[in-house]
Amino acid sequence: MAAITIEGLTKRFGEVVAVHDLSFEVDQGTVVGFLGPNGAGKTTTLRMLLGLVTPTSGTARIDGRPYRALVDPVRHVGAVLEASSFHPGRSARNHLRVVATAAGLPLARVDQVLEQVGLAAAARRRVGGFSLGMRQRLGLAAALLGDPQVLILDEPANGLDPEGVHWLRGLLRHLADQGRTVLVSSHVLAEVAQTVDQVVIIAGGRLVTQSTLAALTARTEQLVWVRTPQAEALRPLLAAQGIQADPDGGDQLIAVGTTTEAVGQTAAAAGIVLYEMRAERSNLEDVFLQLTSQQGVRS
Amino acid sequence: MTRLVRAEFTKLRTTRLLYGLAAAMAGFGVLTVVAGVGDAGAQGNPSLSADSLPMLVAGPVTQLAGAALLLGMLGMTGEFRHHTVTQTFLVTPDRGRVVAAKLVAYPLAGIVLALATLATTATVVVGWLAAKGITPSLLDARLGRVVGVALLGAGLCGLVGVGVGALVRNQVAALVGTLVWVAVVEGLLMSLLNAPSLGKWLPSAAAAAITSPGGGHLSRLAGSLLLAGYALALALAGTRLVVRRDIT
Repeated sequence: MAAITIEGLTKRFGEVVAVHDLSFEVDQGTVVGFLGPNGAGKTTTLRMLLGLVTPTSGTARIDGRPYRALVDPVRHVGAVLEASSFHPGRSARNHLRVVATAAGLPLARVDQVLEQVGLAAAARRRVGGFSLGMRQRLGLAAALLGDPQVLILDEPANGLDPEGVHWLRGLLRHLADQGRTVLVSSHVLAEVAQTVDQVVIIAGGRLVTQSTLAALTARTEQLVWVRTPQAEALRPLLAAQGIQADPDGGDQLIAVGTTTEAVGQTAAAAGIVLYEMRAERSNLEDVFLQLTSQQGVRS
Repeated sequence: MTRLVRAEFTKLRTTRLLYGLAAAMAGFGVLTVVAGVGDAGAQGNPSLSADSLPMLVAGPVTQLAGAALLLGMLGMTGEFRHHTVTQTFLVTPDRGRVVAAKLVAYPLAGIVLALATLATTATVVVGWLAAKGITPSLLDARLGRVVGVALLGAGLCGLVGVGVGALVRNQVAALVGTLVWVAVVEGLLMSLLNAPSLGKWLPSAAAAAITSPGGGHLSRLAGSLLLAGYALALALAGTRLVVRRDIT
């Protein structure tokens, strides 16, 4: 069953269409990366999902209901949005006590989640003096307070140092292993690639693709990088063999989906001299960039 | 609903705003006592006696209403200023209930603030009179009236503060707007209307009818009801906006 269902979701801010007819589902117990460049509409989508922003049209549901219709939402859904939504003069512990009181949760949970996110030592300090990384941890603590089955995290790695990103990966994995559903947004695929089962990629407010990470990896391609003084002559010859080659500045070409043997033979047959040639494999980030920039051109 | 009101009190207890306001008002209360004692016996004022207690305690009453207004306004707009409203509405997506909880909590907080200030002021007055060998009665009916009026004014103004805050959201705009309204707009309206009989229906006049010892043009009861009406109208309009607006 789908834990999160987004159907035909659209949001206009005046003339700007932030999210356009977006649909996707997140199955229970999966960890899904919600990816897209800055300004793709990720945050607006998540805020609509959480009932903070009203969609222009379409629906966003969690466990079959709009967020605003959930009974005790904090026990169902934990969310981390921007990292700065704390009163600077309130301590971390008191911030969580406010949330726990309003949600009707036992105050004992406060110290448990502070321990869980590694903030126990800073519990009584004012949030105003916290680093961005500590604020992210406090946001996560608030999200975990109600022990929810669904977690929605907007760019939780922002502001974390490498050690913090490593810790976050471990935490997400731990939560996923407990069978929780996690939707985590990021503008950097590499940040979540080690953690997620699936990705939903959006650009310009539209869905680009929803696929498993494995399917995305399969889209990486064998590339051949060539340096030759006759790059312009080699290109059409490769094209005649059905090999696409893109110029990479000056005397360089990148041939897509081929081998060094094929490129070498083609060059030798035409008497073209090669100074340098090497095989490469495109990585996930290239696929991500390619997917999102294509969409950017179309919209 | 109870837990939402309790959460509002936890919010109030865990920042310095309420304590800062309480300290400022206590200081102001003491100053009014010093001024009141200084004036006693001069320029036809009655000299200090066992009857002086209510008059001297009443010094900060009007300003207490202002402090309660400020408290309610800062409490409501602070949620938007510090973006804590995101967390608040995630916990309680029914936004009307959040505003309702504040409408309960802040008048009560205003009343607590008024009680604390009056207690400080009364302690100083009693001590001062005792030093002069005067023992005032704490069972004075006029003293009871001063306290009642102070609590009523602070409570209602706390309500108005939350209403204004819900309507305006931007903290600076709410503060400046309220100052401009009280200091400029009401005066302009009075002169434009050119009818003093209409002026008594304005919010400040309603507040004045409650707190001013001489009473305004309205009776204390009419002033209270009118101010409560303004507060609820503001809160209703504010709630409608808060419920509809996107939290981005």
